[in-house]
Formats: sequence, structure tokens, C-alpha cells
Amino acid sequence: MKDRLFRDILPRVSKPIRYTGNELNIIKKDWDSSRVKMVFAFPDVYEVGMSHIGGRILYGVINETTDHLLERSFAPWPDMEKLMREEGIPLYALESYRPLTDFEVVGFSLQYELSVTNILNMLDLAGIPIFSRERTDDDPLILAGGPVAFNPEPFSDFFDLFMIGDGEEALPELLDEVERVRDLPRQEKLLRLARVEGIYVPSLYEVSYNSDGTLAAMEPLYPEVPRRVRKAIVADLDKAFYPDNPILPYMTVVHDRAVLEVMRGCQRGCRFCHAGMVYRPVREKSVATLQRQARAQLENTGYEEVSLASLSTLDYTGVNQLVKGLVAEHGSKGVGVALPSLRVDAFSIDLANEVQKVRKTTLTLAPEAGTQRLRDVINKNVTQEQLYDAVEAAFKSGWLAVKLYFMIGLPTETEEDLDGILQLLEEVKGIGNRYARRPVEIRASMACFVPKAHTPFQWQPQDSIEKLQEKISYMTRYRRRGIKLSFHDSRVSYLEGIIARGDRRLGQMIYQAWKNGAVFDGWSEYFRFEHWQKAMEESGLDPQFYVSRVRSFDELLPWDFVDSGVTKDYLRKENEKAMEGVPTLDCRREDCTGCGVCPSFEVEIDLRGGDESAH
Amino acid sequence: MRIRAEYRIGPELRFLSNLETMHMMERALRRARIPFALSEGFNPHIRLSMGTVLPVGLWGEKEYFDLELDGKMDLEELCQDLNRVLPEGAHIIQARELAVTTPSLMKAVNCAAYGFILQMMQQDIATICQNILKADELLIPSRGKKKGVDKDLRKGIYKIDTQLTEAGVCLMFWVGTGEPLNIRYDELTDLLQQQGVPTQAIVDVFREGNYIRINGGLYSPLER
Repeated sequence: MKDRLFRDILPRVSKPIRYTGNELNIIKKDWDSSRVKMVFAFPDVYEVGMSHIGGRILYGVINETTDHLLERSFAPWPDMEKLMREEGIPLYALESYRPLTDFEVVGFSLQYELSVTNILNMLDLAGIPIFSRERTDDDPLILAGGPVAFNPEPFSDFFDLFMIGDGEEALPELLDEVERVRDLPRQEKLLRLARVEGIYVPSLYEVSYNSDGTLAAMEPLYPEVPRRVRKAIVADLDKAFYPDNPILPYMTVVHDRAVLEVMRGCQRGCRFCHAGMVYRPVREKSVATLQRQARAQLENTGYEEVSLASLSTLDYTGVNQLVKGLVAEHGSKGVGVALPSLRVDAFSIDLANEVQKVRKTTLTLAPEAGTQRLRDVINKNVTQEQLYDAVEAAFKSGWLAVKLYFMIGLPTETEEDLDGILQLLEEVKGIGNRYARRPVEIRASMACFVPKAHTPFQWQPQDSIEKLQEKISYMTRYRRRGIKLSFHDSRVSYLEGIIARGDRRLGQMIYQAWKNGAVFDGWSEYFRFEHWQKAMEESGLDPQFYVSRVRSFDELLPWDFVDSGVTKDYLRKENEKAMEGVPTLDCRREDCTGCGVCPSFEVEIDLRGGDESAH
Repeated sequence: MRIRAEYRIGPELRFLSNLETMHMMERALRRARIPFALSEGFNPHIRLSMGTVLPVGLWGEKEYFDLELDGKMDLEELCQDLNRVLPEGAHIIQARELAVTTPSLMKAVNCAAYGFILQMMQQDIATICQNILKADELLIPSRGKKKGVDKDLRKGIYKIDTQLTEAGVCLMFWVGTGEPLNIRYDELTDLLQQQGVPTQAIVDVFREGNYIRINGGLYSPLER
């Protein structure tokens, strides 16, 4: 297989290095002596998949701390896919070059709603039946995890099981259980696996609907199947496994650097934010742990940059101490520190300068909305002054480019809010002209708001494509030198919206879209809306039901059975406060806001930074 | 201290681009804690220059890079340290110190040797060699910047040699690179096809080495 690939196949495709494996720090475990063989399948190309931290963690935790084995597979780019189909080469894993059908478990990472077409394509390329109901005892168990799995229902036709929540402790447990139930018939096997914390087996539930199309009930078929599925959670992130020896890709991947996860969770409470709700509570790592992890990763990879990742890195209580420590220890060797998207309010000139001492990066800020009123609605507790102060400090210290993230189509949005974005950009540009050495570049990226399950906005209607287009043309009338506006494709956001709050009835539509040719839908060069439109017609699906409808608070939602720890009552209260424009403060600094996660999961907010806080 | 290293990129790394090979070396230099010199400025980078660009798809017996060190270092030790951390397939063969005045690889290297492993009758290959050497002109559609324009390869082919190997007959071309005439390996592939070599008969292509050609003589970049 390997010889054939290297000789006949790879010389004929673009970027063949995606498919060769054999990178530094790869772990090739002995096949026969490994207990459960699993492949981690990422439904996008290699350079995207290899940038994903969750995959790095799972790869290390299974291969380094258990007797199971975890290999990797990625979606082949269309030129490679074509060749694989022509030459009869099944989708294979990069460690052993074995086809996916040789594995007992195939686990897909669900990071993005529309990556589902790539999953179907990968299953097909592997020769695994697409539909769960068509699989037999000889087929691998098809698993999915990741943030999108918090509403697993739209994908329930295709997966045998889902893992909801943090994976580093749950996956080893699941694989142990897979080994124990190995000889049982598939149905009994699934019944046993459904009892593992964080595991959801869709085929073990019966779903019924009301005449208006809304969900009437979702009932387990057997008494031992849990009515609600609790997410898996790592209580002590500081002690949790983190890879010191990540694979070093030959290819330049999207995030080509050492990555530290400084904390998990965020309690800022932005009302649109899915991750901020489902990954509660905040769990930090200690500065000492992070310094040790940075040292190990840099020694084992030779990376020239280390990035501090989390949902809101500037909120990490030890961020000052950590950044200064990293720069002091590694800066003289030309190793830079990267801070991804920064919070506007927590930004300190001091810290910016620490980072800039070695390597300058584009400053990225996310005000999300253009007026104070709307920022209060979404609970993005940032003021205009804080933003301007941050930008001024940045330009004074030598930054020449600022990237700003906004959303359009937010609940209660009016023309004034769109004008607010433009005014804000103008002001930022003005500050740049005053304080920077050269003309500055302002880039604003406008996403279309998609209401997500498990958030306070889960009941809100989403703007139609037409309405979003109107808003986009309203904003693009405006042109100014040095300010670049870019907009997400509203049709893509529309599809994301259908799936994000969808139910089991979407399976047929998704399947049809893939049949019609949809693949790599997250890549604008391959996205074809027609495939999806046709699929909606073919499957008789009414997209408005999922996207434009105002849901009532009493409605049983398809994802209600997933227990993220945050109560529906809390989400409802947050929704009502949003409509009144009343903010909710961060529970780390103010009183408990009563979201419910700490008591129900018997966990606590875990802050480790001590006095060296950013605040 | 300025040094020049000779290294091998094995068949398992043949799909790396030049940039990827450079990153691989930079990261190996860091892992091995080689005392490299850094450039000044906001974006300090290792003073490393990959003088020879190995085309994607080819492996290379003798490739070269120049590196600036911060201070002195025993070069045997440097090779050992790097070889300990380099991935399978990449190997430093030797290194030597450069005088400050030594021209860069980019400027000096003007010849490369490409080996084609052919599964064909030796006799047929001998005929092809003769035909190529006999020809006054060898017109091939250019693969480089002037796409589509015919390019005469003849003046850029300095020497041809054949050798029997385990995998087949190795047909080696010594050709001009850079100025004045740059011959690409894929243009040689086209030439072979033009001369009647079927595609499937070419089972492997590699670069044997890079040379400095002075007055018809070939020297290793380590010699000059």
C-alpha cells in the first residue's frame, strides 16, 4: 500500500505531503498487541485537522497512557479523492496505512456543522455503510465528538454513538468498555456503551412529533438507557493529560506552532456563544504546569512560536506571569509568544509589549457589535472607551494592523447598529493615523449570526438570506482607504443555522446533499448552495421551520436531553435579560449567576493564577 | 562562524517542498540546540540559507545549506547533534567552515546531476544516450517561466552516464542550473519521452548532487 502510494499515486496529486504520514513524533503502536484499535478521523484536510488541539490531546492520551491505539485519517482533497476512487484505494490511516475498516472504532471530530458532508464522503471512501442502521457486527463503531455533538440529533442517522463533552478522560473509558463488550451483538454492545458517561446512542431512543412539527417526546427504548445524557467533564485540567510530544507536521499547517491550552471554559456569558455555555465551568492550569508544558513542547518540536489558546486567554488569571515567563525563558532563542483573539477590555499595554518584544502579530479584537445597546443585548461587556484605549495602546507600541470581528443579524439589530460598526472602524482608523508610524490597515470580518443550541438565543429566529444580503449591501456602500470589510457567505450561515438547531429529520436532507455532490462545504471554492437547495426539495424539508421560526419557551427542543450543566431556566432568564438589554456579569468576579453547572456536576470554578492576575 | 553542510533527503521525504525542508531544518537546529545566529529585527529568524532547491517529488543524495553560527562549534559534533534529532530520511553527511568571502550557494551552484532509474534494455538506453549527445539541438516545450516556448536543452547537458543498479539502469544527466541555461528535471523527463522512453519505464528520479562547474570541471560546493 505504502509503495503504491509513493510510486503511483502521490506524484500525481497536489500537496502529496498531506498523505504520507511519518512525521516527527508520530506514534506507531504495535498493531497486534494493542487492545482496541481506533482511528481519529478529521473531516477536513490534513493542514486543518493537524491544527486541532483536541486531536493532539486524544492522540497522546490514548497512545501514551493506554494499551489502545489511535491512528489518524483526514479528508483527502478532491484531486486525491478522485484518484483514490479510480485506483480503488480505500481511505487509510496515516500511521499503519491500513484501511479504516480494519479498526474497531472510527471517531470523527465534529467541529463544524457543514463538515458532515465530508464525513459521509470519508465513510464512503472507506467502504463503511453511511447509515448506522445498515452497519453490521463486522463494521467499525462510528463515533462523533466535539462541540457540534452537543446537538447530535441532525447527525443521528450516521453515527452509532456520540461522545459529548471533554474527551481526554471519557475516551479511554469508552475504549475500555468497547473491549469488554467486544463479543456482544451490535445492538447489545450499544446498549452497554450507552451507560458510559457522556455517551449517547441515538438508535436507543424513540422520537415523536406534534402535528405542528415540533418535538413531542424523546423516549429511551430500554429502562437502562439514560433519559438525559450528561456531558463528560474534566474536573482538574491542571492534572489532565496534555501532549508534550505533539506530532510535528512537515507541511505548513494552519496553526503551525506549539500550543498551550491555558484554560477550558469561559464565563463571560456572551449570549450568542455556544462554547461559552457548554464548556463551563472555567478550569485553569497553573502557570508552573504551563511553563513545563511549553518547555517540553518546544524541546520536542523545535517550534519557533508558542500560542496561548483558550476561549478568552486574556482572562486567564496567570496570563501576565505566564507571558513574561515564556518571553524571558525562550525569547532569546527567537521563540515568539502568540496571543490569539484578545478581549478588548482586559488588554494591557504591558502585556502587548511583552509579546511584541520578540515577534509582532496582527492585533485581533472582537467587539462583535457596533453599539453599546447591542453589546448589552448580547452581553459582550466591552465599552467603546475600553476598545479605543486598547487600540491606541497597540498603535503606540508599533502595531500596524488590527483585525476586528463583528456579527450581523444579531437579535434586535437595527440600521443604527450597522452604522455603529462603520463608525467604530472609522474611529479605530483615526486612532491609527494619530499614533502609528505608517498608515494602518483595519480589517473587519463580519459573520452572520447563527443562533445555537444550548445558548440563551436558542429560541431566536435567524435572519433570512435576503435580509442578511440587504444588510451586507447596506454596509458595502461604505468605502474607505485602509478599511477592509469582509462578510461571511449568508447562504452558508443559513445552512449552519438549519443544522445547528436541527433534529433527526435532517438526516435525509444531509444525505441527499452529499449525493448531489456537496463536499468541503466550509471551503468557498467547493461550496455549492444548489446541492443543498435540491436536497431540501428532494427530502421535502421546510428550512424555515428550523431557521426563521420563533420557538416558544415551552417547546421541547431536540437537544434538551443533552445535559451541559447549564439549566434551561438560566438560558431563558438570560434570553429575557437580553431583550431588556440588561447585562450579566462574570461569576468569577461577581456573585454566582446560577447557571447550574457547578452544583449539578459537583465541580467548581478553578482559578490558578493567584495574585499575578491580568485584572 | 559560517558553515556549509551537505545533507541527504531520502525517498521518504521526497514530497517536501523547499519551504517545508527549510522548516524541518530550522526545527531540527532548535531541537539540537545548535548555537545558530539570529537575524535582527522584530521577526528574528535563523541565519540559514537553503542554497539548493530540490523539486517536490525528487529525493536528493547531496543537497546543501549555509548556516551562520553564534560563535565556534566543532563541526563533527554539529553533524552528530543534528542527525540525532532529524527525522528518518534526512541526514547531514558533512559540514565545513566557510570563509567570509565564499560566494553563496545560490550564486555558486550552476550544475546538478539528475538520475533516472529506467526499466529498459541497456542497449536501448545506450542508443538514446548517443542520440542525445549527437544532436545539435534538443527542442522541448519549456516547463519554466517561459511556458510553451520551445527550449533547446542541448547546450545545458554537460555529461551523460549510465550505471547498472538493483532497481534498473540509472541514467545520469549533468545539466546546467541557474544562469545562463536552467534545465529542469521534468524537461529531462520530457526529453526522454521524446526519445522513446515510455512513462512507466521511469521508476524513480532523484538528484545525485549539486556542483560548481568551472572551465568544464565539476567541483562540490564543499570544495569551492
